[in-house]
Amino acid sequence: MESFYTQSEQVQHIIKGLNLTKTLFVSSIIIGEPHTGKKSLVRYLFPDTPVVSGENQEAVEQLLQESDELIITDFEKLRNQESLNMDNKRVIATANYVANQHTIDSLFAFIYHLPSLKERPDDVTFLTEKFIRQAQKDLMLEDTDISTHDIPLNLTHNSRTLKRSVYHYLMNRSMGKKEIQKAVYHYIYENLEGNNGYKEHLDLYEVPLIEAGLAKYRSQLKLSQILGINRNTLRKKIHEHHID
Amino acid sequence: MNTISIDFQPFVDWDNSPFILFSQRGKILYLNNSAEILFGYVSKKELYDLALAYAPQNFGYKTTTLTLNYDAFNFYAITVGYENEEQLSIRLYNAPRIKAATSLERDKLATTDINLLLEANIALFKTKNSNNLQLLTDPDLPTLKIDQNRFSKLLRKILESYRASDSIRITLKLLVGEHIIIEAKKVPIAQLSVEANGRYIDTDEEIRALSKQCHITAALSEHTIKLDIPLMQ
Repeated sequence: MESFYTQSEQVQHIIKGLNLTKTLFVSSIIIGEPHTGKKSLVRYLFPDTPVVSGENQEAVEQLLQESDELIITDFEKLRNQESLNMDNKRVIATANYVANQHTIDSLFAFIYHLPSLKERPDDVTFLTEKFIRQAQKDLMLEDTDISTHDIPLNLTHNSRTLKRSVYHYLMNRSMGKKEIQKAVYHYIYENLEGNNGYKEHLDLYEVPLIEAGLAKYRSQLKLSQILGINRNTLRKKIHEHHID
Repeated sequence: MNTISIDFQPFVDWDNSPFILFSQRGKILYLNNSAEILFGYVSKKELYDLALAYAPQNFGYKTTTLTLNYDAFNFYAITVGYENEEQLSIRLYNAPRIKAATSLERDKLATTDINLLLEANIALFKTKNSNNLQLLTDPDLPTLKIDQNRFSKLLRKILESYRASDSIRITLKLLVGEHIIIEAKKVPIAQLSVEANGRYIDTDEEIRALSKQCHITAALSEHTIKLDIPLMQ
């Protein structure tokens, strides 16, 4: 069974509204950026309702005739939205964006806007923890001790990029020298060309070396001693790689 | 025919348009039944001032065409007149009510708990607005038959018109003793009133149109929207 977790007050109001109208013949639509949890939310609240994608116009029309209640996902992809007859049906639709505000306004009684993950910081923490547990299991890294604060989170595509950030972080953390060499091998194999290959790919080694060194020792002088290179050489490389 | 022997008072009493006779100091000397109901919605002073403002310059009667709205009462003209210094009369002409041509589509009506729809709409409103909202409702209101989708749209539009208002008061109650005749049947009425310090009027036309389609009488004013909802069974 689908589960849905939220701390966001806004989302809780949406859940309340949808729960209250569960028994009524009204049409509702949830609009929000991709990967914000619209489909999960609808499936969680209406587990037994038939689902059809807006990509399939005929299937939507057929189900509208056959069934009293239905879920239409990707509503924005549906052509001829105006011609749909939603009278006396329980229709729950999801859409990534509104193509025609007027049509949506006349078709749907309840128009909900699901906030993006950026606007739901508590939900981000919960999802990050969930993805960490999932990734630890998938990547067989159960023993790794991870703090959510250490992970650079990318929320540009909501849960999709959030999940990817977590997996990337865990993968990177778990790699040994051999795996790193293998990763670099694949990268170079794909990209090596031209007549200046050595210099062009030197950043693969130098950028993480200098960044990690600066983070660890917090002093260019100290780092140059640790690396065994001249302070000026280090400064030149920092400048070359735009590290500051 | 000697008209002096005819007592005209009952005709005025039962006239559907309000008639009021003021003393020169604004005291009410006489009012008909219709005016009595009107005073539930407008103050004595306001109507007296109106009579003064539109009174003819000399003895006699003057009719002025103007649009007057007091809650659900709409008037299109008034006649103000006086025959002596002591009495000033005003008669307000009821604007004709256009009978709703929309027929009842019984197959679209579903038995509904109005409180449920109202709460769902408040939840929707709260997803976008954090305005202070007070709800006073009668949980024992009987269920009614209504087009749920259309009525929800109407509620959404009404609440949206209060999107920038603070402390919105919503009241839902049964209008005891009031009925509306629909398809020759007496139907009780529930009144939903939404009130705040101000509201947007950009969707008023849509609100009126949706109300009409739902067989609801809507009274829209600067601060308040009142819906008289027939509790059809």
